[in-house]
Amino acid sequence: MTQHSFGRSLAALGAATLVVLAASAITRISAQTTPQSLGGIERLEGDWVRIDPNGSGDFGGLTSKFTPASLTPEGRTAAESMRRVQAAPRGPAYTDDKPHNPGEPYIVVSRPCASGPFGGGALGINPDSGAIHVVIGKDEIILAPERGGIRHIYMDGRKHPDVSRWTPTGSGHSVGHVENGELVVDTMGISPGGVTAGGWRTPETHLIEHFVVSPDGEHLTIKYRWDDPKVYQKPHEYEYQLDRLPAGSYAFEEWCDASDPIEQQSVVPPPQ
Amino acid sequence: MMKHFTGGVLVALIASAFAGPTADAQAPTAKTAAAAPMRDISGFWALSFDSRKVPAAKLLPRVTRTMIDLHARRDVHAMRWCNLLGMPFVMDSGTPIDIRQGPTTIVIAPENNPAPRYLYLNRKHVDPNIYDQSTNGDSIANWESDTLIVDTIGFHATRGVTSIPGGGFKTDKSHLVERYRVLENGEVLSVTFTWTDPAVYAAPHTYEFRYRRLPTTYEPVSSWPCDPYNETRAQFLGDPAPFTASGRR
Repeated sequence: MTQHSFGRSLAALGAATLVVLAASAITRISAQTTPQSLGGIERLEGDWVRIDPNGSGDFGGLTSKFTPASLTPEGRTAAESMRRVQAAPRGPAYTDDKPHNPGEPYIVVSRPCASGPFGGGALGINPDSGAIHVVIGKDEIILAPERGGIRHIYMDGRKHPDVSRWTPTGSGHSVGHVENGELVVDTMGISPGGVTAGGWRTPETHLIEHFVVSPDGEHLTIKYRWDDPKVYQKPHEYEYQLDRLPAGSYAFEEWCDASDPIEQQSVVPPPQ
Repeated sequence: MMKHFTGGVLVALIASAFAGPTADAQAPTAKTAAAAPMRDISGFWALSFDSRKVPAAKLLPRVTRTMIDLHARRDVHAMRWCNLLGMPFVMDSGTPIDIRQGPTTIVIAPENNPAPRYLYLNRKHVDPNIYDQSTNGDSIANWESDTLIVDTIGFHATRGVTSIPGGGFKTDKSHLVERYRVLENGEVLSVTFTWTDPAVYAAPHTYEFRYRRLPTTYEPVSSWPCDPYNETRAQFLGDPAPFTASGRR
């Protein structure tokens, strides 16, 4: 082999090596950041917001299309008790119907920010108009409602704790697994309260959710099934529909300073 | 002979390069975990008494004692009224943090604070002209070898806890760069925080926390009560920076 041809071979070897190393670096990065064991549910990651498929304009209109819960007598008694509490008069903020002078605000909230952002992740069970943000980790999924609270869904095979030794929270204790590319979550230990479409829950009530992402990845259906023989004559089921937020969206921050007078106010009549 | 030798070396190099990623793509064994850089900071992490290395910050002469005290009073106000507390407080809030790394986002969820941090892996900063400033700011992240670099801007100037460990405070011009590295066979998470702000710091202010990994069986408390209308609590904390009639604090 001549010196010239050896030099050309060396140059070719160097170029080829560079290409190979670059390709391996890209593959290595992809291998290490691509989840190995998410079973297809990684498409659930991102930002989602509930939609109004009925065109009803409010949550009552949405849920009016759901099949009402079939409650046992015990369940009906508990649900009625809650409704009486919610219907009770809530102070002058809700009964002020006199005209106000210019600059005199209508006070419509007596205790703003009272539920606080420190809830137990309840909006992760029952999202409202605020978005929900989902991060799919290998052993745990975080579902963070934009209006506060964090819901933990454990994916490592752990069991629920003994409910008698568990302090109920707004989002309870959730364990999940993957079935045919769908995330299936089993939750118990939720604090007592109402459920969509006339239902009721206690810490012993089991909630099974199926998170189904559409083939194009732009739509999410959450299928709910509440099961508790003490409360329901038969499992109570319904679905929520959500759309993925546009690319470039980010989680807003729900700010509320309870001491700021503006948080209590609604309309302020302008100067006439 | 030289031609055959050169060709053989080339084939060997190609084979070894493709062998590397395939090994990484398999379920990690102890051998492969040790060889590959740690690129997952997921876990429950907690600070202990020996976890912080915080030097004194070099502040600009324009930063007066009065300004620092005002920020400290506003910090107490934020806690007293159960406000979102934000950065830097959520990284040392007295309870563990839950970090989960997904394909596009890393979330840092402090146990006693309801607004998690989102570190976006797949985008640039939101246009500052439209970004809704927040207590946690806008964070983007990328890996450099075994170090996660997080870049945050877009802090709200007056909301939440604004005081920074070591001195100074954040403003809407603050820029934070964090470096996350997993040490000691995955048992320690080192996070260095470097703050710059043209209105506060004479030099970049850097400090380090080292979090200890909690067992995988750890579960956070999901509900830390914070009632802004609890009178006993209100008297205990006081409010050194209340809203005035004009709405200023």
